[in-house]
Amino acid sequence: MTTRRKVFIGLGLYVLVIVLFAVIFGWTRNDNNEFQPQNEFKLGTLFSLGPVDVNKAHLYVLAAAILMCATMIYVARRMTQRPNRVQTFVEVLFTAMRDNITRGNMSDDMAARWFPFVGALFLFIWFSNLIGYIPLPTNVEHKVDILGVQVPSFALYAATANLSIPLVLALIVFVAYNTVGIREKGFIGYIKSFIPAGVPGPLRPFILALEIASNFMRLISLSVRLFANILAGHLIILFMGGALVIILGIEALGIITFPFAILLFIFEVGLVATLQAFIFATLTAIYLGGAASESH
Amino acid sequence: MDLAVITTLAQAQDLAGAGGDAGKAIALGVGGGLGAVGAGIGIGQIFGKVIESVTRQPEMRDEITSIQWLGFALTEACFFYGLVAGLIAFFL
Repeated sequence: MTTRRKVFIGLGLYVLVIVLFAVIFGWTRNDNNEFQPQNEFKLGTLFSLGPVDVNKAHLYVLAAAILMCATMIYVARRMTQRPNRVQTFVEVLFTAMRDNITRGNMSDDMAARWFPFVGALFLFIWFSNLIGYIPLPTNVEHKVDILGVQVPSFALYAATANLSIPLVLALIVFVAYNTVGIREKGFIGYIKSFIPAGVPGPLRPFILALEIASNFMRLISLSVRLFANILAGHLIILFMGGALVIILGIEALGIITFPFAILLFIFEVGLVATLQAFIFATLTAIYLGGAASESH
Repeated sequence: MDLAVITTLAQAQDLAGAGGDAGKAIALGVGGGLGAVGAGIGIGQIFGKVIESVTRQPEMRDEITSIQWLGFALTEACFFYGLVAGLIAFFL
């Protein structure tokens, strides 16, 4: 049998299954208002610690930080001459962070000073993206009954799927690279370095205003890029993986959307989670290097 | 044209509200849809150029790969700016 025929037969079977499901379960919409899966993005208070109301975003940030420190310290303590698989992986990661991300974008002695910062940013974002793809019982709006115990329903949530955490990280980066620029060139010199070389005199104020505005836009682009990528990933996995079925009440729709959910999940875990951490760290390094170098 | 439509429209209770809802839905559609068009073109161009340059200079592959992902993520983010703007218009 040729590959082409196999593909056709597979597709035909898939369509047949969809039609069968549609016939058996019917294709009528009856909206459901009781269980709302989109509540997984709601930040309800879990418990209070004195004046602080703790919600799941706090716990996710803490979990990411603790997990990152714990794994890295564990691997660093148990370094051996002949590395096992985990150590090899961490070493590859370390080399990539040091050589590609940091040294590729700034001078060597500056890289030595800023590598811990950039590397920590990368690892923190990477860990908090990745633990966001583990389904955990975090949706406190709805409970499920498992063997008589009321457990919150399982949901995906990541600390970075909430604008405030990427925004804080972006603010730290913003303050850091502006401080580096001012310390390196003095305040006036730093402002002057915004204007690219070769701009004629009368145009300079406009270019300066534009460049300062774009400097602040970096805050938005840096934070919204990370936040929107992760949030959109979680939203689309949620909707494809069953929320559409539950909200609209069309059972047969699930057989169409579920394969997409699996594909998108693999795409998000395999590519987007790592790529966004990489991008954030790389842009941090580029901004730091650009602030210290002669002209942007 | 069916005149019954006009009667239905005239009898609609909350015209402004319905119009607002329609506008919100259009904002989400345009933000997501047109954003995807632009980002799709951009990503296609990036990968096309990467294939071109790797076939021309295979020894540059490693260097090109890292730049390629940078470009991919920066372009892809533009889609999400549109989507977020649409979502803000839809929900707020």
